[in-house]
Amino acid sequence: MAAPVSYFGIRHHGPGSARRLVEALDEVRPHEVLIEGPADLSHLLPMLASPQIKPPVALLGYPANMPEKTVFWPFAEYSPEYRAVVWAVQNSVPVRFIDLPVYWRIEPDAQDPIEPEAGEGDPAETEEQQTLEQEATDTSGQKHQANSLSGDPIGVLAELAGYEDGESWWQDVIEENPAPGPVFEAVEQAITALRAQEFELSEREAAREAHMRLEIRKTVKDTDGPVAVVCGAWHVPALKAKHAAKDDRALLKGAPKQKISATWAPWTSPRLSFASGYGAGVAAPGWNQHLWTADDDTKVTRWVARIARALRGQGQVVSTASLIEAERLATSLASIRRRPQPGYEELRDAAVSCLCFGNGLIWQTIATELLIGSETGEIPDDVPMAPLLEDLQRQQKKAKLKPEALERDLSLDLRSDSGLFRSTLLHRLTILSVPWGRPLDPGKSRGTFRERWMLAWEPEYAVELVENLIYGATIEQAASGRLQAKLEDCRELGPLADLVFNAMTAQLPEAAARGVQLLGDRAGQTSDCNELLSALPALADILRYGAARELDTVQLGTLFERIATQGALALPYAVRGLDTETSEAMRAKIQAVNNAIGLLDDLKDLQQAWQNALHAIVDEAHANRLISGLAARLLYEADLMTSDNAVDLLARMLSPGTETKDAAAFFAGFLEGAGQRLLYDEGLRACVDAWLIGLEEDAFTEHLPLFRRVFSQMDKSERRRLMDALFG
Amino acid sequence: MSDTLRRPAEITYAAEIEALKAVDDHPKPQGWVLSPQSVITYVMGGKAGSVEISAKYVGNRRLIETAVATLATDRALLLLGVPGTAKSWVSEHLAAAISGNSTLVIQCTAGTDENQVRYGWNYAQLLAHGPSREALVPTPLFRAMESGKLCRLEELTRMGSDVQDTLITVLSEKMLPIPELNDAVFANRGFNVIATANDRDKGVNELSAALKRRFNVVVLPLPDDMDEEIAIVTKRVGEMANSLDLPAPKNVAEEVTRLLSIFRELRSGETLDGKTTLKKPSGNLSTAEAIAVTVGGLSHAAYFNKGTLSAYSLAPNVIGAVLKDPVQDKVVLEEYLETVLKKRRDYSDYYQALTELV
Repeated sequence: MAAPVSYFGIRHHGPGSARRLVEALDEVRPHEVLIEGPADLSHLLPMLASPQIKPPVALLGYPANMPEKTVFWPFAEYSPEYRAVVWAVQNSVPVRFIDLPVYWRIEPDAQDPIEPEAGEGDPAETEEQQTLEQEATDTSGQKHQANSLSGDPIGVLAELAGYEDGESWWQDVIEENPAPGPVFEAVEQAITALRAQEFELSEREAAREAHMRLEIRKTVKDTDGPVAVVCGAWHVPALKAKHAAKDDRALLKGAPKQKISATWAPWTSPRLSFASGYGAGVAAPGWNQHLWTADDDTKVTRWVARIARALRGQGQVVSTASLIEAERLATSLASIRRRPQPGYEELRDAAVSCLCFGNGLIWQTIATELLIGSETGEIPDDVPMAPLLEDLQRQQKKAKLKPEALERDLSLDLRSDSGLFRSTLLHRLTILSVPWGRPLDPGKSRGTFRERWMLAWEPEYAVELVENLIYGATIEQAASGRLQAKLEDCRELGPLADLVFNAMTAQLPEAAARGVQLLGDRAGQTSDCNELLSALPALADILRYGAARELDTVQLGTLFERIATQGALALPYAVRGLDTETSEAMRAKIQAVNNAIGLLDDLKDLQQAWQNALHAIVDEAHANRLISGLAARLLYEADLMTSDNAVDLLARMLSPGTETKDAAAFFAGFLEGAGQRLLYDEGLRACVDAWLIGLEEDAFTEHLPLFRRVFSQMDKSERRRLMDALFG
Repeated sequence: MSDTLRRPAEITYAAEIEALKAVDDHPKPQGWVLSPQSVITYVMGGKAGSVEISAKYVGNRRLIETAVATLATDRALLLLGVPGTAKSWVSEHLAAAISGNSTLVIQCTAGTDENQVRYGWNYAQLLAHGPSREALVPTPLFRAMESGKLCRLEELTRMGSDVQDTLITVLSEKMLPIPELNDAVFANRGFNVIATANDRDKGVNELSAALKRRFNVVVLPLPDDMDEEIAIVTKRVGEMANSLDLPAPKNVAEEVTRLLSIFRELRSGETLDGKTTLKKPSGNLSTAEAIAVTVGGLSHAAYFNKGTLSAYSLAPNVIGAVLKDPVQDKVVLEEYLETVLKKRRDYSDYYQALTELV
């Protein structure tokens, strides 16, 4: 006897449909639950209901030999699929997936890997993933634009109705339907009407639906109770339609069978979202999570309270009375827009108006925290988390490096392919906090084609490595993901530039590109000369030695020029009124930047701007004397200031009218590290001599350490020559 | 034909308001002439039965919805924005559509005192008969409270902070005490306040936190769309040149385009292609200022440059518009010139003209 089948067309990651689904399952009490998902991974499903699993988590499936082609199926706490699994396990009912097995999803062509990160910037691929439903979610903004009908029909319907948020539409239209009726039937009717339109079902979509139909048919035959099918709303009409089993089977030919590995991985809410740079009106995990956790009566109030808490966290003053006003305004807006209750947009508009004083920028500061959230899933310790370790083993084999506990010296020539490959691997692992190799000469390595590493493998590195699964399924992806996460957290140019340098050495073009973009943004915002200057040495290094790593540095060159120009413009203002400590730091920076710029001979304009800045410092009466001394010397050394001018300047700065403190500072700036100058330039020597002789005894004693610093840097014979010159 | 130069909105657009009233079937808050939905149609344009309603405001509908929703609660509305973003225009039309009367206006200036906000005294009456309601001279705010209408406060932030704070009791308790008479005016339903203010200008008094939180704030933005803004500037420049009897050279539209791209880049803090972030100068570089700069350039061109509008005629005015703060803005502009304009060949005349002046 055939069992009755109930079809529940859900919205992927829709808390509204998740809630209704649980109610419906309680009512129908099916004897078996079938879920849209890869049939060959059904054995992993019961684990999802284990109490040690904390969503968001994702199911990973990948061909055993190609972890870079991993396909993800993320589950959030409010995903209807997740609720269905939990329900089934709690009620001891068998539960399984009925969609095409994973190997159907694996593209044979290596140029088109199905994995989230690769989707960025490639519309064709994005489209492709979207038709694979939202399972393959990712952090790129294009996802939402390519929001195709089959992926999120509810979202499309909502958009057509003028809603920015599919969940609010679900709430208003499906649940608050004035003609009361079962929710899932209403959805089905809408989708049936949608599917009645002309549209082309891709081959893969047709195959998927055929596979699901066959699986349902099989289950119905073997079960003698009601069966529940949980699938994307888009598929319900097709699954219900009658098709001959023979035709369905005919559709299921062709995909080459491959050995598939699968596992669970912890996921994060940013990766669940459609867009990480949350622009306008994208269904946001934070909001969905809220809809799931807050109960119906208080959900508006609680959301307003969460907004307030986030705003207060940003240092805004938000009074309780304002919260009441915000909620009232949202209610009033909803009634003007003829919606039964305030939804996401009303609450946002009201919050901007009442709590952010109309200032959209204030809202932006909390939007990410509020809408995307930063939740991270957890999985039990005993889940095999193989892909990264497998990838490591493969890479080790390819690099001919064995993980050994004993320390071992490794010298690499970056000009050879194998050397570059090994270096890249070690750099990537370092990013993943697996310091298998320690660079032995980190400072110098930037400048040569050689790198020296000390290798030593510790068993705990495997654990460290596995924890990076959250960022990606291969070492390259994980390193790129982790570095990008770090970049996003970074607020200062200096550290950002260092991270970009890391991305470059680890051959992570995507992270590097993001870093360059962030550098550009940050450079636009900051006017802190210090910060601008501190980014330059690292960037110059990349520019100069990028060739050793076959990097494209054109964009970075432009950026370097821009930051340096900005820095040069700001410099004369930044050297006023510095105290001793900051002036020392500034001196080191200017020296480093001067070296960096001096070596980039093709940037003549920039060199000119920099020299102008140095001239401006020398002419600036309020400039810190240590810095003006340095600037004068740099110009003098570059032959941009004649010896006569330098002598005049030094004489002026050391003349009795100047305070001894200032004179000493200028002296230090000018001569520290360049005492030899005194040997060759008689004018300078006479000048310094006169000043030293004219110093009061107390002042002389006070500045003895300074004199020592200047003169001790000369070697013995130089000192003798100086003596000879003076007294000879 | 009337001799009045300009009539208030509720008279000019009386036909539209009547048409909307005739077909209005949504619930109206007490004291309102139209329902909130119809008010939005009145402002944004649409249809009332067969009558075409003209659009009074071109821009984001959401903002107007928020504004109307605010007035429908008992919260006061503050329209914020740089000059030339139609704040007063929107406020007048909202008052016309909601109360049928947009003339209860207090023009706030640095010289406005409490008597012009609350009530004044007729001193002849006061001396003859002592304090009484008859001796009171009501202000627009007073009358709006009594009659349950909207009161408009223009340029709220130009008024001294102590005077601004007179509004606190009115806004929160909807009551205006008259201690001299041991009496008070209690607002009738339909009363509310629409204030307009300018947050990025010189000579404004910041709202106190207590007052600020009694307003819902709607910020009216500058035009989003570059073409729209070019059209506005070109049109206004043409009109003004006409009234000043300045001959308009042929290349006005072209120069306005270049000028506006500089303005918009500095105003938004990024280049038009979105690739480079920039620092913003302290001035607001509004559409109104772009118009002023172009008209200044026209005059310079007409009298000193043989009638050709060029970068050299415009540059001095551009400097004037950008350099509101002699030190900070100078750095911002220098940076913009060196990092952005220098690389654009088609702006080389602007680069040169501006660099010389800086």
